[in-house]
Amino acid sequence: MKISGRLIVLEGPDGVGRTSHARLLSQRLEAQGVATANFGLARSALISEHIEANSGQLHNFGPRTRALLYATDMWDQVVHHIQPALDAGFVVVADRFSFTPVIRESVRGTSEEWLHGLYSSVPNPDMVIVLDAGPRRILHRVIYTDGIAELKGYESGMDLGHSNIPTVSFIHYQKLLRGRFKQLAKENNFPIVSTKGTFEYTHEEIWKHVEPIVSDLIVKSTN
Amino acid sequence: MLVKSKEASGAGILIAVEGLDGSGKSTQAHLLVQWLRALGAPVHHTEWNSSPMVKSATKEGKKNQRLVPETFHYIHAADFADRWERQIEPLLAVGGVVICDRYKFTAMARDGARGIDQDRIEMTYSFARDPDLTLYFEVDPEVSLSRIMKGRPNLKYYEAGMDMGWTEDPFESYKKLQGRMREIYGSISESGRMIKINSNSGIAEIQKNVRKIIADSIDLSNVTLIEADDRRAEIHHIDDGARMRYISPEGYTVLRHGVDED
Repeated sequence: MKISGRLIVLEGPDGVGRTSHARLLSQRLEAQGVATANFGLARSALISEHIEANSGQLHNFGPRTRALLYATDMWDQVVHHIQPALDAGFVVVADRFSFTPVIRESVRGTSEEWLHGLYSSVPNPDMVIVLDAGPRRILHRVIYTDGIAELKGYESGMDLGHSNIPTVSFIHYQKLLRGRFKQLAKENNFPIVSTKGTFEYTHEEIWKHVEPIVSDLIVKSTN
Repeated sequence: MLVKSKEASGAGILIAVEGLDGSGKSTQAHLLVQWLRALGAPVHHTEWNSSPMVKSATKEGKKNQRLVPETFHYIHAADFADRWERQIEPLLAVGGVVICDRYKFTAMARDGARGIDQDRIEMTYSFARDPDLTLYFEVDPEVSLSRIMKGRPNLKYYEAGMDMGWTEDPFESYKKLQGRMREIYGSISESGRMIKINSNSGIAEIQKNVRKIIADSIDLSNVTLIEADDRRAEIHHIDDGARMRYISPEGYTVLRHGVDED
C-alpha cells in the first residue's frame, strides 16, 4: 500500500520566525519517525546559485522577470524534489511556498491573476499556516539580531517609494504584507499563528495544526 | 488586411520574426534592422534567449539537462520578460522601432510542442502585446534541415527535443519536434496573427518581400528619425577625422566637414 506524503507550508513575512519554526517542525517530525524534505524559495539547483550570485541585482530586475525567475525556481524544485518526495511518502515542510511570491509582487502592482497563473498547477498544500507578528515587533527583531544596517531596499519595500527612511518604509511595507497574509488566510481558511509568545508556545500552536494532518504517518512508540 | 501599427498600439512599432530553425528569419531580421538604421529610425534588435542576466542560468540548465517542459517554459519567459522590461517596452515608450528575433509565438510553438497548454503560454506572456507585424518565415522541411545541418554534425540535446524521450535518435527526435512546431506555427498563422512569407528562395528576394510588406503595413512616417549628426555610430572617420561619411539606404556616402564635439 502506498501512502502519499503531505505538504505542510509555513507562510509569513521575513522576520516572523518562519525559518526557525520550519526547522523545529522538521526535527520533531523526524524524531517521531516521519521522513521529511524541505522546500524554500530560491533554493533550486537550477537557479539558486544564479539568484545568490546576483541577489543584489535580482531585486533590481523588473517585476515580471523577478516573478518568472521565482516561478522557474519553484517549478525546478517541484519537478525534481517536492513531487518525488511526496510520491515517496515524505512530509515536505515548506518555508514559504507560492503565496509569498504572489503577495510580494502583487503589493508592487503586478496582476494577481497573472501571478496566480504561474503557480496554478503546483502541488496543493495539505496545510498552510500563516505566521503573524506586528510590523514593529518584526522591526525590533531585525534590529536586535541582524542589526539595522541589514534593512535593505527590497526587503524594506524601499522600491514602493513610501519613505526614504528604511525603518519607516519597512513598517509601512510590513503592514501591507500583513494585510495580504491575513486576507489570504481568511479567504482560504488557513490558520493564523501569532509568533508573539515564546518560541516553544508558538511551536506547540503550529503543531496543533500539523499533528492531525500527519497522525497516520507518526511511528507510535511501543513501550 | 494587415493591421496598421498606429491602430494596434499606442506608441512605437513592434515587429517580430518567427519561423523554424533554418528558416532564414535571423538573416532577414538583421537586414531589416540595418535598413531601418540606415533610414535613421531609432531601432533596437533583440534575440530570443539573450537576456544578459537570465541566459547563463538557462545555459546551465541545458548543459546539465535539468530543464523539463515547465522550467523550460518559465526560464525562457523570464529571459523574455527581462528584455521586455529593459529593452522592448522602454524603446516603444519613446516611439522607437523594436525588431524581435522570435517572440511569444516561439514559446507557443516550442513549449506547446512539449505539451504545455496554449492557454497557459498565452497567460504567461500576457504582459506582451501582439506585435504590429509578425513575419512568419515558412520554409520546406528539407530546406531548413539542410541549412541547419550544414557544418554541424550534431544536434544539441534540447534543440533536438531529446528531453522529451520520444526516441533515441536525435535526428528523428528533431524532425518530430520541428513537425509539431510547424503545426502550431501554421495554426497561429491561420488565425491571422502572423503574415506568412515564403522563405525558400534567395536572401535578397526574401528581403525585398520583407521590405514591401513593411512599407505596405507599417506607417513609419510618425517615427521621429535620428538626425544624421546624431548618428555617431554610423560615422566613419576618414583622413584625419575631419571628414565623415554617412550610410544611407541608397548606400552612398555623404562627405562633410567638421564635427561638433561636446
